[in-house]
Amino acid sequence: MTAIVDHLVILPIVVPMLAGVILTLINERHAATKLAINISATLLLLVVSLLLLWKFGTGDGSLTEVYRLGNWPVPVAITLVGDRLSAVMVALVSFLALGCISYAAARWHRGGSHFNTLFQLLLMGLNGAFLTGDLFNLFVFFEVMLAASYGLLLHGSGNARVRAGLHYIAFNLAASSLFLLGVSLVYAVTGTLNMADIAARLPTVPAESRSLLEAGLALLGIAFLGKAAMWPIGFWLPTAYAAASPPAAALFAIMSKVGVYVLLRLSVLLGAYGAEGFGHEWLLYGGMATIVFGTVGFLSSQDLPRMVGFGVLVSSGTLLAMLSYGDPAVTASAVYYLVISTLTIACLFLLSELLERGRAPEADILAVTLEAFGDEQEVEREQEVGITIPATMATLGISFALCAMLLAGMPPLSGFLAKFMMMAAVIGSDTGAGVGASTWVLVALLIVSGFATMLGLLRTGINRFWVPSAGEVPLVRVVEIGPIALFLGLCVALLVLAAPAMAYMENMAEGLYALSAG
Amino acid sequence: MAFPARPPGQRLPLKLPEVTAILQGSATIVWLPVGQTSTVCGTMSGVALLPFIILLPFIGALAIWLLPARARSSASLLAGAVAVALTASCLWLYGSVADGTVLRNELTWLPQFGLNLVARMDGLSWLFATMIAGIGGLIVLYAHYYMSPKDSMPRFLAFLLAFKGAMLGIVLSGNLIQIVAFWELTSVFSFLLIGYWHHTSAARDGARMALVITGAGGFALFGGMLLLGHIVGSYDLDVVLAAGDKVRSDPLYTPTLLLILLAAFTKSAQFPFQFWLPRAMAAPTPVSAYLHSATMVKAGVFLLTVFWPVLAGTSTWFWIVTYVGLATLLLGAYSAIFQQDMKGLLAYSTVSHLGLITTLLGMNSQLALVAAVFHIVNHATFKASLFMAAGIIDHEAGTRDIRKLSGLYRYMPATATLAIVASAAMAGVPLLNGFLSKEMFFGETALRNPIPFVDVSLPAVAIVASLFAVTYSLRFVHGVFFGPPPTELDRVPHEPPALMRRPIEILVLICLLVGIIPGLTIGPFLATAVKSVLGPDMPYYSLSVWHGFNWALAMSLVALAGGVILFLLLQKYLARGIEAPPFIGHIVGPRIFERLLILLSVRWAKAAERLLGTRRLQPQLVLLVAVATLAAAIPTLGGIGLLPLPPTTFDPGLALVWVVGMTCAVGAAVQAKYHRLVALMLLGGAGLATSITFVWYSAPDLALTQLLVEVVTTILILLGLRWLPQRLETSEIDPFRRFSLHRLRDLALATIAGGGIALLSYAVMTRDAPDGIARFLLENAYTEGGGRNVVNVILVDFRAFDTFGEITVLGIVALATYALLRRFRPAADSIPRPEQQRVQSAFESQRDDHKEGTILSEFLYVPSVLMRWLFPVIVTFAAFLLLRGHDLPGGGFIAGITLAIGFILQYLAGGTRWTEERLRILPVYWIGTGLLLALVTGAASWLFGYPFLTTSFQYVDVPVLGRVPVASALLFDIGVFILVVGATVLMLIAIAHQSLRSAKRDAQPPGKTAPMIEREKA
Repeated sequence: MTAIVDHLVILPIVVPMLAGVILTLINERHAATKLAINISATLLLLVVSLLLLWKFGTGDGSLTEVYRLGNWPVPVAITLVGDRLSAVMVALVSFLALGCISYAAARWHRGGSHFNTLFQLLLMGLNGAFLTGDLFNLFVFFEVMLAASYGLLLHGSGNARVRAGLHYIAFNLAASSLFLLGVSLVYAVTGTLNMADIAARLPTVPAESRSLLEAGLALLGIAFLGKAAMWPIGFWLPTAYAAASPPAAALFAIMSKVGVYVLLRLSVLLGAYGAEGFGHEWLLYGGMATIVFGTVGFLSSQDLPRMVGFGVLVSSGTLLAMLSYGDPAVTASAVYYLVISTLTIACLFLLSELLERGRAPEADILAVTLEAFGDEQEVEREQEVGITIPATMATLGISFALCAMLLAGMPPLSGFLAKFMMMAAVIGSDTGAGVGASTWVLVALLIVSGFATMLGLLRTGINRFWVPSAGEVPLVRVVEIGPIALFLGLCVALLVLAAPAMAYMENMAEGLYALSAG
Repeated sequence: MAFPARPPGQRLPLKLPEVTAILQGSATIVWLPVGQTSTVCGTMSGVALLPFIILLPFIGALAIWLLPARARSSASLLAGAVAVALTASCLWLYGSVADGTVLRNELTWLPQFGLNLVARMDGLSWLFATMIAGIGGLIVLYAHYYMSPKDSMPRFLAFLLAFKGAMLGIVLSGNLIQIVAFWELTSVFSFLLIGYWHHTSAARDGARMALVITGAGGFALFGGMLLLGHIVGSYDLDVVLAAGDKVRSDPLYTPTLLLILLAAFTKSAQFPFQFWLPRAMAAPTPVSAYLHSATMVKAGVFLLTVFWPVLAGTSTWFWIVTYVGLATLLLGAYSAIFQQDMKGLLAYSTVSHLGLITTLLGMNSQLALVAAVFHIVNHATFKASLFMAAGIIDHEAGTRDIRKLSGLYRYMPATATLAIVASAAMAGVPLLNGFLSKEMFFGETALRNPIPFVDVSLPAVAIVASLFAVTYSLRFVHGVFFGPPPTELDRVPHEPPALMRRPIEILVLICLLVGIIPGLTIGPFLATAVKSVLGPDMPYYSLSVWHGFNWALAMSLVALAGGVILFLLLQKYLARGIEAPPFIGHIVGPRIFERLLILLSVRWAKAAERLLGTRRLQPQLVLLVAVATLAAAIPTLGGIGLLPLPPTTFDPGLALVWVVGMTCAVGAAVQAKYHRLVALMLLGGAGLATSITFVWYSAPDLALTQLLVEVVTTILILLGLRWLPQRLETSEIDPFRRFSLHRLRDLALATIAGGGIALLSYAVMTRDAPDGIARFLLENAYTEGGGRNVVNVILVDFRAFDTFGEITVLGIVALATYALLRRFRPAADSIPRPEQQRVQSAFESQRDDHKEGTILSEFLYVPSVLMRWLFPVIVTFAAFLLLRGHDLPGGGFIAGITLAIGFILQYLAGGTRWTEERLRILPVYWIGTGLLLALVTGAASWLFGYPFLTTSFQYVDVPVLGRVPVASALLFDIGVFILVVGATVLMLIAIAHQSLRSAKRDAQPPGKTAPMIEREKA
């Protein structure tokens, strides 16, 4: 009997799996029991992920742990690979999950069948995708994650969800088949599925098979870019996310990051094979196009969830563009940004529903028309006395303002710091020849998209919080505002602890790239 | 100064020692991360105080914000205490910066990104900090009396203090990025202050406009600072200030300059961004007084002043800054004359004075810079006092409209006197501070310039604008304080509380003292401030009141006299009470801005979203396939190596199967849109061809799996088809008549993509397999995995973790399907009984020997009896497949599907009710149990110290059967089996129960679905 710590790497998969199974075996009638199990499992997962974070934080950045399933020798066995990057991602999943389940505890967990099971199994899929070191196993966990997300997207039912859900399913199934094609081609050429082994065998691939290998990798890349919602294959995302129930949408905030994560892994692993050539330019220009489209969509949307959906695109585009640099400092700050933007987006998805309560549905349209035509009613003198905002609205307002500043990258919050570090890093990443025009364009895009984000959220915020309305003050429960405080608190903590956090990230990135070089 | 060249490839080349070298002679504390020694150079005195000055207002703001809304006096007291502490600290620090020392307190934070937290103070920032702290204190005192008892004083003062902290942060920051951070913070807090009375639309609009414009400037500043930091190689302000030549000669100088100017101009309300400032007067008057005097707008000119040594001195700088300033100066002064609102007049006057300061900064002259700094201080004093006076009048008289006000001198002589003196300073009347700096301005503009345009325009605009300033000052004084008693007021105005007037008295006193004895009052402070910008070799300037007759004095006199004359001339026009200034009144800046914003951020954004994106599924899938095809084509277009010809011994039988299969596939695609049933059946044909191919090439496991999966999915889809809408009308079903361009495009894309994949597969399959893991699997399946069926050993042992994941997927899909369909209610048009049943019923009702429903109940009677009898056989067969799986074709998955088919047959034969009355199936528990078994089997290996899913096998002597191999993988396989049965049956039930529901619904009118949210709302 060995210590459970030896199996720490697989626990983020096994814990939610076990919880999911137990939840399946409990009848839907026992909603409270199911919820309690769900929450306990999520807390346990959080403990496990913090242990992982601590474990890989103590060593140097290149510390990895390979877990061979079935105890088979390495290229044969399916492996799980734990390192700093996967630990960060798993921890992010755990925190998100804790917030989402807390929010759902108010009422959403009763919104349909098997919510708790699907929730835990989604966590299993996410963690599996972050931990696996095997290309086909990655496909399996993608499927676990996607299957659970189909269910969660449809959770709560309603026409909009079913329509968006079916689009989502159709698109993602198509993307998954590309994934499968890509895996098959790569396996056919290299004869192996272990990612590290693939990278190691690349130099031995015979010349006449190289183009097949590249085609396979390209198909894989497209599959991941589709999941990461790069323009022009990411139109599914805003509609799907906007239609999902808030706790599901908030959890989905990390799903588009899975695509980014895998691309990062693969680009690092295959970096030695000179895959930088066309692949990296695609990432850069695709990322920039995604930022543009996300920004445009953000401005043109009127309801908050949809806006946030486009915010996901901007975030994805930013990350994709950052990946294209293949520079440790850029990657480190990009991962920092990934964490911040995921938490912010999740927070906004949750907030959007709270703000919607007790409001007339047509008020959003009014926001723009008021701006267009003004309402220059003469202000009565007596009105020039401030009105006190009820405490609920004040709390929501502060949360919204913080989220807006985080998403727009306005100082002094960590969103600003993240953007600054990315920009400083890309400007600094050029060697000798000076900073390329595309880098300046990217920097400009990031700044402009930040401004546009501010503009859009400003409009929403003023309309939501400042325009006196007949609507009632929304009823918000502590378990619903709690996760928002948790996410914002994490963002603030990452600002205060930016120096150690960045030291962690930089070691991580250097470890990643050192592996690929060595 | 000589500057080390930037070595290539180094991120931020300046390391700490070099920075310290640049800073020699300054008082510095450098805090390094824990564990390293901290470097202290220079004098310590006061340096430690700097971060405190920045942080204190924020701490105070937080404390005040936490007070209850009614805690008016304690809030004011706390804010006042903070202000006093700040002002005292600033005053005390003067001794440290007076000799030109730069105080620095540096906290190492993110040195790898050049971002350290630096609190820094030199003469200029001392002057600004003192002004911000001091006037801020006066504002708190004033606001205590100004704000209504019903206003939430803590909230107001918290915003005000936080805003003050942000302003102090700008002037006391020693890092470019830190400046950007505080810069945006001032925008945010000024937004909150301007929108304090947010229930009025004026406040909302004003606040939003202020934030959009100054916020945009902040983003521009961010870009500018990034560029500047990149050029210099450091974000440290002192390093940047020492690198002026390097910056000006860099090719990126112009974009850098433009971005920073954009920031400064938006903040300081320079043309064409001037319009937000008058709108911002929707703020409570104390806020206006603060924003317009010492803060906010002064941040812009502060920025220009600080970076003057780095950015100024080029012709680009001269032309842009000077002429933007001049335009603002003139426009502001002109507009101010015609305002009817006191605060509006003062706001435009602020715009104009900032234009004056900007013009001075743009002239690339050291003397002009001195004048600019001097005027910044002077303007702050008289403008703050004027706004406060306007607020008192507003408070006491109930209106700010000059048309309604008149003769207030007799009611409030003290306030009137103060306001008159301050107005005189604003007009530039001698013996007041405004006169002195304006004289310096005139002196600078009067200097001869070789360019004729500049030579004429500078002094001309200066005189005209100053003349306007005299006019609007006169108008303010005359319109409000003189003339007959007011008639349109609803109350009798009187003097405010003495303490409310105190701030004005102090400021007016400063105006007078500076105006009369400048050398003794402002002189040394100004010198210190200017020295920190210009360095030790300052130009000579004199601050005395009388310089003899010169151009400047002449211009002053002309402006004064001209202003009086213009005022007299305009009397009649102004009496008409027209709101907008003549000639330019119809150009309303805010309105243009709003329109532009809507156009850009809404209309064009919508158009662009439509152009660049789509919400429809089909184009999205087309794009996905197109992009994927392109991505795969790019590397393969150069050739994919040798493609061997097909073997000549190709079996014609298999070829026939393939032809049939391909025909089926193409047929399915053609029919997919028009006839789902046909398409589905054809798809089944294609699947069958695949199965046969697997058999042909000796892959029995694959063939079995493929066959069974085909059967089950086809049946499930068939059951689902019942609930889809009817097929399209006959006129539309001929696919060949209705082919359009986009169908042709889709066909082409499908052909290319499909052909490409076929080609790739062919290339892969005709090539020698690489020496990979496959050999290991084949060689070790029996010895290590204990099974002769390699496929099964791979599934349950080598790659059991994949299977583990896949069965989870299957379980999830079943659960999700169930969850979806549980809430699903058939659409109205699929609720009636199907056409076939209706035909039968009609037939039966015509015949006497048939009861209605007989045909239906007797439908497939013989087969259904057979199906019932077959059930035990199928169960046994499934068990057989399961147990033999490890060595021969079979296994948990195949067995599970087989058993599921058995269940499906029962449903088909007996109907849902009949079956469920006899068979109690709880598929959700089957799913859970199956997964649990797999999980427990996997985790059991932990007990023996092995990783998850490690298997073991050995031979066991079983009494009857003898020695049989038992692998732990069998348990896992049983888990798979149970799960597959459960998942398939759950999906079956989910679909089958639709008919039960719709049958119930036949009686009711078809209602719409009732999703959770709608129901809850109801």
